[in-house]
Amino acid sequence: MIGTIARKEFIEIVRDGRFRWVAAIVVLLLLTALLAGQQRYAAYTATQQAAQGTSNAQWLGQGDKNPHSAAHYGNYAFKPLGPLGFFDGGIVAYAGTTIFMEAHKQNFAIARPAADTSAIARFGELSGASILQLLLPLLVILLGFTAFAGERESGTLRQVLSMGTAPSRLLWGKALGLAAAVLVVVLPCLLIGALLLATTGLQTVGGGLGTRVALLALAYGLYGAIFLFLTLAVSARASSPRTALMVLVGFWAFSAFLMPKIAGEISKVAHPSPAYGTFMTQMREHQRRGFDGVSANAKLGRYQAEMYRKYGVDRVEDLPFYWTAVRMQKLEELDQPVFDQHYDAVRDAYAAQERVQNRLGVLAPTLALRSVSTGLAGTSLLEHAKFQDDAETFREEMVAKMNGYLAQAATDLNGVNSATNYMIANADVFAMVPPYRYEPPSLAASIAAQVPNLVLLAVWSLVALGFAWFAVVKLQPEARR
Amino acid sequence: MLQALELTRTFGDHTALQGLNLRVERGDIYCLLGANGAGKTTTINLFLNFVRPTSGSARVNGIDVVEQPLETKRHLAYIPEHVMLYGNLTGLENLRYFARLGGHNEYSAADLQGFLDRVGLQRDAASQRVRTYSKGMRQKVGVAIALAKRAGALLLDEPTSGLDPKASNEFSELLLQLKAEGAAILMATHDLFRAKETGTRIGIMKQGRLVQELSTDEVSHADLERIYLEHMH
Repeated sequence: MIGTIARKEFIEIVRDGRFRWVAAIVVLLLLTALLAGQQRYAAYTATQQAAQGTSNAQWLGQGDKNPHSAAHYGNYAFKPLGPLGFFDGGIVAYAGTTIFMEAHKQNFAIARPAADTSAIARFGELSGASILQLLLPLLVILLGFTAFAGERESGTLRQVLSMGTAPSRLLWGKALGLAAAVLVVVLPCLLIGALLLATTGLQTVGGGLGTRVALLALAYGLYGAIFLFLTLAVSARASSPRTALMVLVGFWAFSAFLMPKIAGEISKVAHPSPAYGTFMTQMREHQRRGFDGVSANAKLGRYQAEMYRKYGVDRVEDLPFYWTAVRMQKLEELDQPVFDQHYDAVRDAYAAQERVQNRLGVLAPTLALRSVSTGLAGTSLLEHAKFQDDAETFREEMVAKMNGYLAQAATDLNGVNSATNYMIANADVFAMVPPYRYEPPSLAASIAAQVPNLVLLAVWSLVALGFAWFAVVKLQPEARR
Repeated sequence: MLQALELTRTFGDHTALQGLNLRVERGDIYCLLGANGAGKTTTINLFLNFVRPTSGSARVNGIDVVEQPLETKRHLAYIPEHVMLYGNLTGLENLRYFARLGGHNEYSAADLQGFLDRVGLQRDAASQRVRTYSKGMRQKVGVAIALAKRAGALLLDEPTSGLDPKASNEFSELLLQLKAEGAAILMATHDLFRAKETGTRIGIMKQGRLVQELSTDEVSHADLERIYLEHMH
């Protein structure tokens, strides 16, 4: 019975003129987005790998110089992205893909792909995820809004209800038929997209590509189910197909179009993050003042006195190490808590903004899906934070190694320890710093971060199903007057 | 088979049906006559449970239609004044769909074609989309749907209005066959001639009340018309 209803519903939908042009538009946009994603993936990965290789080679081949100068010369971290990053670019285009790692300074990521695009990018990135998030619900609505309301208007609903068909069977049958019509359009595109990405190479960033793809399918499936059952519910309740369409398109515009833009603004008002200039000014000021209000110079003076006492000397030349290098490393360590405090504050603000946006998913399921999608694609805040952490760890170790080497190696240069001892190191010394490696958050961490959003999507689809059930049980052959 | 017990339905101040008592047994063709708004369609809607009774009850096979709407509908076939079908499906596909909704999965394509033959739908029309059908052709598919349901009781709401005389005559022949097979038929109609020809009993309704019941073998055409018109004044 349910199969019969589903088959009839499917045949009716695909024979309708609506189906052809709606399907054509969706296929065109989705394929374009997936193809564009594949192109970006190939180009990005090639650039990232080449750039990282070049940066590593430049570090080693920077020419013989003082190790501390070498730390100033620095190194670059280029963020690797897996194939899913091109299904859903997440925050990558806005958060930056490259970090310059140098002595004395912790830097933000630079090279934001969004900065290189035209004004059209304001409408969002053309990716498989953004097209699906926007058009999957619209496809469901446009193919399904007549499910009950259209039959009621044309009078076939009377005939159907006179047959003694249980309303629940009508609901499941129509749900399956509509789902099949939607999948016939969407699935082939996704398969083509997946094959294209597979031919480009499938190294994952964060591991568990299969699990990630399965969970993405689950999340987008739930998202589609939410709109499918809402469509059937509204169609069953509405007085006319026109009313059903208006209500559904209204909700679609709210959830998939308006809220993704507004949620960002709301979250920024709730948890402001500083502008770049303000941030830098405040951090420099704090650095100058000293972490706890005692300036770094004052602390260095005390440290120097302490060392003099410890070794019973009163000249830096008499210390058993090269004071200039130890002093610079000490300065790094004094600045570190200032950096940490300011960068952490920004990160906390971003995390708080993300939490606000996730909570708004209660009103708009698109927001919950968007988070799950970027989270599983490895392009969320979680991955960006880890990228920055890894770069900072690398930077600290690089600087400490260079200063540490200098502190020892320059001590008895020229047979004496002199405050002005200036040594030259070569590639062998620079090789003490291993090449930069980004260790993305594990699959488990990515999933754990998205559990609340997945639960929210599940709750949304249950509520939509309940709404549809309630509407269909009370199904009337005539519109309520 | 069909039974109305003090069946009453009011819409606000308006009484659509007032204390209707009615029995239609197997082999009966009961014709409801009356002006538009007399309560004929309301009576049929009450049997289909499309409208809830304000008081009283409608029963099919002794079962209350409000208490067991799905069970009672299994015994009912319904043909409205305008049979509405899916325009993007063919006549045969429409018939198959509704037959299955009615719980009849067993029909082969030949069986279904047999029903369409029996109601006189041209062979080549069966595989055309219903969108291209005339009203008469749609009514025929509607009758085929009712036949395929093999229901004990038929509810017909002016099924022949708008049909040409030949189609109307064929429809009457079909009703007589169904009657012979033991169906209980309740038909709302404006056609006094056909009511007298094919009906076994006649009920005249006015302003929601059943004002007179008679057997068709007791009255002539002329008497029936006179009695009907007297009630209408």
